[in-house]
Order: sequence, then C-alpha cells, then structure tokens
Amino acid sequence: MTDNTSDKIGQFLQGEKEPSSSWVILVIGIAASLSFLVIYNILYPGQDLPVISSVLPMFEGVFDSGIWFFILGAMIGAFAIIGTILTEATIE
Amino acid sequence: MDTILSVLAVFWVLIIVSYLLMEKGLGIFGQVTRGLTMFLLEKALGPGSDLVEGRKGSGSMVWIIQGVFWLFISSTLTFIGLWLAHDPVALHSLEAWGYHPVSSELFYAGKFAALFGCVGMFIIGTGLHILPNLLEVNLASEKNAVLTSFAWTLSVIILVIGSQNNEIGPVNVILLGTGLNLVVTIAIIANQLLTKASSTVELATPGWLIIFGLIGNPIAVISVFLSGEYDSGLGQWLVYHLSGATFFFSSIAGISLYSASFGSGNPLWSRTVAGVVILGTIFTINPFGNSDPSMAIDMLGLTSAELILSHQDNVAGSFLMALAIIPIIALSSNILITLRGTDIFVENPDSAGIPEINFGAWMLLPLGVASLFIQTDTLSGTNELVGISNILHLMVIWTILIPLSMGAAIQVLPSVSGRYPLSQNRARLAFWMISAGALFGLVLTMMSDIADVVLIEASIEGQNALSHTLRKAGSVIFYGTVLGSIFHSTNLFSGLYRGSKVSSTKSPSETTFMIDSFPLTSTTTIRKILATGAVLDTKIVPTFESKERGNPTSLHEEE
Repeated sequence: MTDNTSDKIGQFLQGEKEPSSSWVILVIGIAASLSFLVIYNILYPGQDLPVISSVLPMFEGVFDSGIWFFILGAMIGAFAIIGTILTEATIE
Repeated sequence: MDTILSVLAVFWVLIIVSYLLMEKGLGIFGQVTRGLTMFLLEKALGPGSDLVEGRKGSGSMVWIIQGVFWLFISSTLTFIGLWLAHDPVALHSLEAWGYHPVSSELFYAGKFAALFGCVGMFIIGTGLHILPNLLEVNLASEKNAVLTSFAWTLSVIILVIGSQNNEIGPVNVILLGTGLNLVVTIAIIANQLLTKASSTVELATPGWLIIFGLIGNPIAVISVFLSGEYDSGLGQWLVYHLSGATFFFSSIAGISLYSASFGSGNPLWSRTVAGVVILGTIFTINPFGNSDPSMAIDMLGLTSAELILSHQDNVAGSFLMALAIIPIIALSSNILITLRGTDIFVENPDSAGIPEINFGAWMLLPLGVASLFIQTDTLSGTNELVGISNILHLMVIWTILIPLSMGAAIQVLPSVSGRYPLSQNRARLAFWMISAGALFGLVLTMMSDIADVVLIEASIEGQNALSHTLRKAGSVIFYGTVLGSIFHSTNLFSGLYRGSKVSSTKSPSETTFMIDSFPLTSTTTIRKILATGAVLDTKIVPTFESKERGNPTSLHEEE
C-alpha cells in the first residue's frame, strides 16, 4: 500500500462532524444517574433512596400489572401521532 | 317457504331493482331528483358547507386520514382485550374512576373501532377517489364528503362508548350511533350515485363492487324488516351476514382489485372472475364474521332471539355459505395474479400498500374455509366451535379486512394528497409489525382457545397453564400491531407535508385503467407494453438518450 493511499484512509476514518449538544447532555445525564445510584448503594447499603422511595408507594396497587408498560408505550405513540400532526402542520 | 330464502328473495329483488334504476335512470324525475339531492348535499347544510374548501381529492383524503387514527385506536383496544383475557384484574385500579374493564367489552369496542372506524373509513375514502376516477368525472360534492367524515367519526365514537355501556339514562347509545352512521351512509350513497349519473363512461367491475357494497348494507336491513324476520334469531343472523357481505366484503373487493391493478401497473387479470365476485357476493351468504350476531342486533336496537332453524333453513343456509367460497377464491386469485404481473411490490415508491393487499389476499381462502366451518357448526346447532368464533372473527378483521382496505387506502392516498408516505422503509417496517403481530398473536390466542374448548369438552376444571401462557404470549405479540399502526400513522401524516411529490406526469403504473401514452426508453416487447395497461389507441412515445458524453439527455426528440 502506498503512502498516498494510507493518507486517504486516514482522512476517511476521521469524521469531522460532532454529535448535537442535546445528545451529549442526555448521555452525560444517564451516566451521572447510574453513577449516583451505584455510589449511593455503596455508601448507604440497604437504605431507601431519598424522595423516590417515598413517592413510589403512592403508585402501589395502581401500576401493578405489566400491561401498564404497554399502555405507556401506546400513550407515547398517541402523543407521537398528535405531535407529528401539530409539528408538521406548523413547521416553517 | 323457509326463512333464509324468503329474506334473500326480497334482498335479491331490491338489489336488481336498484341496479336497473342506476342503469336506466329515473326517467322524467331524474333531473329533479339530481337537483334536489345536490341541494341536500351542499346548500341544505347552510354555513356548514362554507367551512371546507371542497378541493379535488380532499374528501377522500380526510376519510383515509381519520381511518388511520382509528387503526391505532382499534389495535390498542384489541390488545387490551387480549391482555385482560389472561389477566382480568390488570386494570382494576381504574375501578376507582368507576370503570370496570372487561375483556369481552374491549373486544367489542375494538371491533366497532376496527370495522366502522378503520375499515369503514378506508373503504369510503378510497371509494370516493376510485369511483370518480373510473367514471372520469369529479366527485359530485367534495364538501359534503369532507363534512360527513367528521359525522361518521362521531358515530364511531358513540358506538365505542355504547359497547362499554349501552344504556345511558333512557338513551340506547349504540342505536344512536347507528342512526348517525345511517345518515352519513345515505349522504355518501347519494354523493356516489350523483357522480355516476354525471358520467357516460361504462363503469368497470371494481366500481360496481363499491356501489353494491354501499347500497347493499341498507338494502339488507330493509329486506329483513320487509320480510318480517327481524325478531327471529335466523333473520338477525342473516342481516349480520348480508351486511358483512355487502359493505365489507364487496366494497373491499372493489377497492383492493382496483388498487392491485393500479399499484402494480398490471391490468386486472380477469374481468370474468371479477364479475363472479359481484354475483357471488350478492347471491350467496358470506361466512365471515362471528357466529353470534349480537353486533347487528345491538346496532338495530332489536331484542336478541334464539337461533332456531328448520331442516330446510339449515340445508339452504349451509349450501349458500359453501357457495360463498367461490367469490372468495375468485377475489383472492384475481388480486394475487394481478399483482404478480411484475415483481414490483415494495421496491417501487408507487407501491406502498401493495404488501398489505398481497397479505390480505393470501389470508382470504384459509380464513374463509375456517369461517365456513364455524358458521355451519352454529347453523347445525352443534356449537362445538363457538369457543373460537370470536378469535376467528378478530383474525378476519386484522388479517383480511384491515390489510386489504388499508393497502388500498395507502395506494390511493398519494393520488389525492399529492405526496407519497415519508419513508418507504418505515412503511415496510409497519407492514411487517402489523401483519406479523396480528397473525402470530391471534394464532397463539386461537391455540389457547382450542385448548380451553378441548378441556371443557373433557370436563376438566381449573386453569390450564399452557393455555394461559399461550394467551399471554399472544397478547404480547399482538402489541406489534399497535406499534405498527403508530409507525404507519406518523409516516403517513409526515408524508402529507414532507413526502416526495407525486409527479404530475402519469407513470405507467398510475394509468392502468386509462393509459394514453407509453414512454419507450429501450427495446421492449409488445407483451410488456400491453402488460402496463396499454390498449390499441395508446401512443408509444420514443424517448432517446444522447450518446455524447457530458451532454444532457433529451427526453423528447421529434424525428
């Protein structure tokens, strides 16, 4: 392989575009949340999470069947349909 | 004379009289009737008619778009019904709001949403484009078509509410929904017949199937009332099947035959076989549907009566239902052979919707035979297969009626909206999710139902673990249908605004029924030219390419 060819491969392998800021923040947020959960479990083993542990029991007996995950998906789908119509109709 | 033949005799006479009136006209009353009907369709609506623009194709588009909404709603309701069948207390928390969801009621709501919301709106919307196209005229009233679509949606909402609670105070909710539905049906029939009256072109077979589908439904109801059999179990069973045969089977046959030809670019395989579908639909009893006609009974506000048959009725009913396999085979073969003229399917952007039609056509025969067994089992009073009647009805809806009507609607939508769906890949993904989810999900549920039927016959009490697991797996797999309907909805809605534009010049695949020119780009055979729908009067337009490098290709060069 000639030097000229390897230069071209190098250019090909190095992309010039960057991910959008929203995706970067989203990924950092997910990573930070997981890190917090792991560290909290190490520092306070066996203890309930603050706030979340006191809110979750409110939903006990409400979302106690797997069907709610599917209904949640259908609801997201319904909002996606409505959102698509609204945004497509109003987009510049 | 037995009940079945006496009701059918009235039905056949009314259909033949309607056909003669459509062909011969009303004589001296024709002009007056046309003027009066046109007045009722537009001017009589008062300021309502000024709310809409009445652009060409708008009526068809609005009906199809609302049908897509109902596709999502009906799939969700059916999914919840399937889930509650194995986990009846899954939604018990809703009881705090006074709502007690039951599997059978959700199936009932899902059927109303699927049959009248999704399939019904696809049928009418597609028909509003196809009939004027075949007759080479504009629709009589686009404004009326747009406005009535909202009234139809309202009627379906009322029917879905009625399926959960039919008596709200003194009001019979389902009967109210049916009344509104009937008003819209009459308006659509008037609109389509006025369109036909304004044309001198001979109507092709798919157009007649659409017309008989529209007028057949009210005629079926009138026949049962005229013959006085509306309060007998057999009359109620018959009106259910006659309505299904006309509005659903005949209309779907019309729109899917047209779309199979239109989308593939191939001429309809056989006009004779298409004619067999028309005659077979009218002169036989269609076996598709539930063995329990309670949907028709509720919609007509009747009191349910026990199905009691004489020996003569049993023989006549079974024989006429067995004969219905002929139009079913004729429709299936005509669609499949028409599609296979070329290997077009999903590779061509003109052809979104063709895989759905292909799938629905494949399912016609096996489910037709299965439905025949279920219905003859009911007619003979054996009732061994009643346990799988509901799930078979759902299979007919989700693997025949919805794919065929939706495929035709997706085919027609670009012509009326001017744009293709946003993404062909997403349309294909949605097709696989809907068809695979419905087929495998409902097959597993049917296996569970069969297991339950066998256990009941063997007098074994208690819940069967295998049956329970199958039912659970079936409901989860059916969720693919919900996801597929979401993908289809967003894809079609985005396509209305951002989809690639339909070319103003007619491509060969768009002109199956009226091809007037054929672009000759390379050496070809006369067989291939004829296969695109060309006739003896079609002009062959040679299209040459410049062989000089770097020069633009001249598309039309006069010799």
